[in-house]
Amino acid sequence: MSSLRTHTDPGPRPFPVTPRLAVALSIGIAAVIAWLALDAPLAKLVPGEGGLRVVRAFFAAALHPALEYESPVPEGTPHILAQALAAARRTVVFAAAGMSVAILLGIVLGFFSTTAWWSGDLAGGTSPLRRAYARSLGPTIWTAARASIVVMRSVHELLWAVLFLAAFGLNTTGAVAAIAIPYGGTLAKIFSEMIEESPRDAAHALRAAGAGPLQVFVFGLVPRAGPDLAAYSFYRFECAVRSAAVLGFFGFPTLGYAIAQSFENLHYAEVWTYLYALILLVVLLELWSGALRRRFVA
Amino acid sequence: MKPSARPLSTSVSCADHDAWKRARPGSAAFELHGAGVVFSGRTALTEASLVVDPGEALALVGPSGAGKTTLLRLLNASQVPTSGTVCVDYRRLDLLPPKGLRAVRARIGFVHQDLALVPNYRVLQNVIAGSLGRLGFAGGVRAMLFPTRVEIERAAVILERVGIAAKLYQRTDSLSGGERQRVALARALYQEPSALLLDEPVSSVDPARARDMVELVTAISRERGITLVVSIHDIGLARDHFPRLVGLRAGRIVFDGPIDSATATIATSDLSALYSLEGLARVEPAHAH
Repeated sequence: MSSLRTHTDPGPRPFPVTPRLAVALSIGIAAVIAWLALDAPLAKLVPGEGGLRVVRAFFAAALHPALEYESPVPEGTPHILAQALAAARRTVVFAAAGMSVAILLGIVLGFFSTTAWWSGDLAGGTSPLRRAYARSLGPTIWTAARASIVVMRSVHELLWAVLFLAAFGLNTTGAVAAIAIPYGGTLAKIFSEMIEESPRDAAHALRAAGAGPLQVFVFGLVPRAGPDLAAYSFYRFECAVRSAAVLGFFGFPTLGYAIAQSFENLHYAEVWTYLYALILLVVLLELWSGALRRRFVA
Repeated sequence: MKPSARPLSTSVSCADHDAWKRARPGSAAFELHGAGVVFSGRTALTEASLVVDPGEALALVGPSGAGKTTLLRLLNASQVPTSGTVCVDYRRLDLLPPKGLRAVRARIGFVHQDLALVPNYRVLQNVIAGSLGRLGFAGGVRAMLFPTRVEIERAAVILERVGIAAKLYQRTDSLSGGERQRVALARALYQEPSALLLDEPVSSVDPARARDMVELVTAISRERGITLVVSIHDIGLARDHFPRLVGLRAGRIVFDGPIDSATATIATSDLSALYSLEGLARVEPAHAH
């Protein structure tokens, strides 16, 4: 824009407020207002004497995570490392259960929230029935799918968990549903966007060879987005593992439960043992998904 | 058999009651009668009339943007004309229900300019995708995921015919441009088509390979009696391999003639006019022959 202006140089402006400058200024003013409204948050970041001691103790413990429990435990309690391993395993199980339901939801809702299965571009025909379908039924289902995705996504998994906790008590199915619903919504949204944006050349070619609308969608459109869909699902699986861990704070037997208990007892070294287990888990998942991605893409 | 070119028929033969009886299984017949295509205000094709007999081979020539792709898309029912009629095997496409249109498309192999393959499929899957038009949804899933031995062998035979037998299980995006083009041709042949339509098969490969490709499709369609329509930018190549040339310019058919010794001179002057910037007036009468 500015380079264009140089061609027809209007000379220096008396008061140089361009639209861009105005936007930048408003953002700055909004930041100052927010800062003042929060009542000087920086001042509260300076911890008191006691708080400072806790912080120091906590981070000092990072250097020597517990290899034994820090206080006597009842007879028959498994070793802390075995405990961490079991909690990590349960974390993965919760995440995997939530994700498998989420992927199903994502595929079904993702399909219905693309325009590709009813729009004239790929599936449309010239018959009156087809046209009516593309004009009314398709858009109606599409809108319903989009709306349910918004509802599923706008409530965070922790809120879903609280809701299910209140409704069903400490129930494994509730925890799985708490992950599955928002993740299903997110997957559906991203799946549909990836499918809509994937190149349509192969889909058009299959249509030109007589394939039906559903065949065109499944064999022409989805495979072109396939590697992206798989990579994104893996990323969400990592997120689900973290979410499953945090659900432990509500009492589900994942890593978060162990972390919360040790934290309450001020056993920071134990907390770090469990945190390292979580970090290790995420790193392992990342290595695994990276290897698979290389196989998909290369 | 070298099919001879013929002057444009002005009668609407597919409107004849008995015309469909002339249809030959395995060799499609095409007719355009005053077909026009307008894309949101932009005219792509005007008053195009063309008769292609069963088993004929012809090349569409003309500069890019002349309407060659649009004409090809009319022939396989991918494009609905905004005016005029299109007939395949003496049946008017505008009178066919969607199922009938699918059946027509399933019998016409189309090799797209950009090939339109799924790059992350194996070659076998891309080839078998050619049969989707003949299968229902469940049958298609079965064929794509669990091809039978017979289907694999059929695909292998076709790949051997197009010269890439060894690539059956390779990922399509690991192949060269020329090999991918042959995969696209194999997919079209797997349809067991009664016509092959190729859109600019020479634009994406080097000249030697382009010649090989044109020789390959003309040989295959001759040995199987398949009707062949190829759009080609390269006039020399078109003249060397096709008995009939149809010239397009700015959305109009500007000539339609045989290539043989008797008419070579006429054709040559027409051809030079086709690509010259000021030649439009000279070739205006569409039925000059």
